[in-house]
Amino acid sequence: MTRKVGASSGSSTRRQHVAPAFRVVAIPAMLALGSVGGIAAEHAGLPWIVGAMGGALAAVLGVLALPSIPTRRATVALLGLGGLAALRHASFAGNDRSWLLVLWAGATMLTLVLVDRADAETVPALEGGAPLANRFAETARVGGVIAVVVVVAAVAFVPTVTDRLGRHVWPGLDPSEANSAGAPSSLHSSGDLSLTTRPRLSAAVVFTVDASRADFWRGSTFDVYQGSSWSSSFRDQLEILGHDRTKVQVAPELYDEGARSGVEFRQTFHVEAAFSEVVFAAPSARLVETDKLLIRSPDGTLRVAGSSSGFGKGAVYTVYSRAMPVTEAKLRAADATPIPTPITEEYAQPPATTPRVAELARQITTGAVTTLDKVRAIEGWLGANTKYSLSAPLSPRGTKDVVDDFLFRSRVGWCEQIASSLVVLARSAGIPARLVTGFVPGTPDALTGRFVVRERDAHAWAEIYFPGIGWQGFDPTASVPLVGNSPSGGSWLTVARRNAVPLAIAAMLVVLLVAATPHVVAARRRRQDRRASWSAGALHRLERAGRKAGRARAPAETPREYARALAERLGDERLVAVGDTLDAALYAASGAPEEDRAVADAVLTSL
Amino acid sequence: MSTSTASETTTGRAGPEGRGPGAALRGGGPGHQGPGDLTLTSIVLFTLGAYGVAAGAATGQEAVVAVGGFAFTLFVVGIVWPIWSLARLQVAVVAPTDATVGDAVELRIGITGRASRLDVRALDPPGMWCRTAAPADGRLPHAAARRGVFRSVRVQLRTSAPLGVFVRTRTVRITLPAPIVVAPRPSVAPAVLQPVPDERVSSGSTLLVPGGGDTVRTVRPYSPGDPARLVHWPTSARRGEIVVREQEPPPALGIAIVVDLRGGAPEVAASLAAGIGTATLAAGGVVWCGTFEDGLPVGETVTDARGLGRRLARAGSGAPAEPPARWPTRVVHA
Repeated sequence: MTRKVGASSGSSTRRQHVAPAFRVVAIPAMLALGSVGGIAAEHAGLPWIVGAMGGALAAVLGVLALPSIPTRRATVALLGLGGLAALRHASFAGNDRSWLLVLWAGATMLTLVLVDRADAETVPALEGGAPLANRFAETARVGGVIAVVVVVAAVAFVPTVTDRLGRHVWPGLDPSEANSAGAPSSLHSSGDLSLTTRPRLSAAVVFTVDASRADFWRGSTFDVYQGSSWSSSFRDQLEILGHDRTKVQVAPELYDEGARSGVEFRQTFHVEAAFSEVVFAAPSARLVETDKLLIRSPDGTLRVAGSSSGFGKGAVYTVYSRAMPVTEAKLRAADATPIPTPITEEYAQPPATTPRVAELARQITTGAVTTLDKVRAIEGWLGANTKYSLSAPLSPRGTKDVVDDFLFRSRVGWCEQIASSLVVLARSAGIPARLVTGFVPGTPDALTGRFVVRERDAHAWAEIYFPGIGWQGFDPTASVPLVGNSPSGGSWLTVARRNAVPLAIAAMLVVLLVAATPHVVAARRRRQDRRASWSAGALHRLERAGRKAGRARAPAETPREYARALAERLGDERLVAVGDTLDAALYAASGAPEEDRAVADAVLTSL
Repeated sequence: MSTSTASETTTGRAGPEGRGPGAALRGGGPGHQGPGDLTLTSIVLFTLGAYGVAAGAATGQEAVVAVGGFAFTLFVVGIVWPIWSLARLQVAVVAPTDATVGDAVELRIGITGRASRLDVRALDPPGMWCRTAAPADGRLPHAAARRGVFRSVRVQLRTSAPLGVFVRTRTVRITLPAPIVVAPRPSVAPAVLQPVPDERVSSGSTLLVPGGGDTVRTVRPYSPGDPARLVHWPTSARRGEIVVREQEPPPALGIAIVVDLRGGAPEVAASLAAGIGTATLAAGGVVWCGTFEDGLPVGETVTDARGLGRRLARAGSGAPAEPPARWPTRVVHA
């Protein structure tokens, strides 16, 4: 393979073999383009490993297999394309692949160092001068300096820059009707929740959240259980909220002390879905910064006003929520305060369910003293007697009470059945409860720190009313209830576990590549060496002819001896002269005469 | 008095202008660079950085700003690093004291300070780039392109390390501990061997032609080491002791070369004078050289080719010294 190699001034375009130093460049270039290819693929809805492999392949071909372009230019052009792709996909719809961006950055820097180093090595060395430092030591030093610069810049400028750059409010794209129609039900505020349909749970990112801690992002609440669905009794009591520029004050829900006087918690939502009608927020929203007109439901939840209007892709809104910090002791102590009558009338009435469900509730909560204990008992019973499965069969057609069916027949369901069961059982036990839908916190992104929330993070859980505190979330589906601070979801380990198969494939490919590289390089070098001189080439041809004749050259056999042996074996006396010529070419100071070489070539060709 | 005039096409460069500190060949010639050049990498990084920061700021997407900021960081580090790296280097050069135009001379260069890699070359004329790290001591090839006495050399350093974003070039003029005297390359010319006055020869500043003459001046007693062929047998027989002949020295032969560089082809003239003088000296002749140096006419006998070359290296445009009386003279005009 030949190609042009440009000197650092870019003036030289001499044609030569790709130098080993330039071949090394292909490795970090593969990583750079592979990582950005992975991000792009994920953004396009493909498995990231596909993009990663495609990017890596493009890098190898670009660096090593474009003979008409100088290696340096080809590499820089590839890095430029990689950078453009990184910019295009860094907005990445908020995926949690930012470790690929970190990998891209490191690999890009490494590529630049190695390609410049390789270029420098094309310059002849100063006689008696100092040898260049080890390229990896040099790269490590540069990487360290750049890391320090980045950290210093981050510490010095990020607080200022973030406030200037980080949008708290942004209109985003206007969603079309098609966007609205194509959005999953979790992003619509219909006032009804069917328990007999399976939700759409794709990996598409719905929104990302800038928040200091994880929380469940509440969308809607449902207080009326109808056997096979939930509905809200407030659908006709909506209130359009007034704007103060971009600030929308939200009145707290009646009797919700947490929403009234709890601790403030700010979250900024970056909408990535094409449409979202619901204003998601950690309970309970009190102030929203947005350019949209909002509608408040008496339960404290919000949605965008207008039948088909909503947030479009790129929209940003900020919510200031208030919630009461609680402990289990505080929740237990809340029973000393009477529950307001409106709350009891609205949320603690026995639901329309079967007697055996009510009896089950009584059995489970017998012995539990406080509301919290009763809820824990129900959670415990659900944990011990039901199983979670997203592929659980839907309740049979005609099922009048999904909760009854789940608790007494199937005992397998997903969050909607499990949370509905908790609410129905709690209400049967006289505890004010309601069903809540929204999203789990999502996965924290390593680079931006945002929680990345996907369609599959849609969730349903329960809220229990505690007098003097307000509504508290309980998630019977998960092992961790919502009381107190929630743990942040996801980790590198989780991500790795989720992508175990593609990671294993990628690791195998990398191992294969690393293992094969020295062999490929050595084979190429051998081929080049053979081509480098007439004698080596002729000897190679002689050996090949000998092997075909079943007489390989012994390690200690000189070319002359070998040629004579072959002459005897093949009955071709001309090989004796070939051996003599080879000996002369290899060892004589003046080499072999041109005419002898021509004769030897002719003999070897005739073989 | 015979004269020779250099009539060949010449470069038209006068010698003396090239002498002294700061007067070494200027202009750099082909390959001369300014203080630095941005590379394709810098354009790519700057574009990515500017676009990323601007687009990210406009849309509030911190990840885009981060990518752009990273590209911009590489851009800035890639420019600052080579500038800072070269600014810290100190260079010292030791050169040979004598050279001839066209010779490859070897400059011993010492670079102190730290740099992971850099290229170095001599200027005037621009030589070949050589790669090294710093600190380093090495031998830098350089071509002696012009006649003259050079008290300084210019050396160029460049580096694009570590990222190849910016090729920083720094030119340093280094005063040599001892100047390089670059003599003209002697052109092919015949030796001129004509008798020169004896008194000049006997002054002790000239060489006699080896081999001696035929005239016997006197005889003297034999001393150990005298060749037997010099024994004068009749006188030895007469005196009863061995005496040897003492012969007259041979007549001195040579030429006075007057180098007048006031003209359009001083280098050709200097080269011709060097050719004549060198050939004459090689043939055993005596050479007197008259030149104009440092604003004064200078004329004296030279004893060897190096001395002649040094005289001609210093020769400038002006009225040369008059030759000694009765010396065969060759005037070389520019």
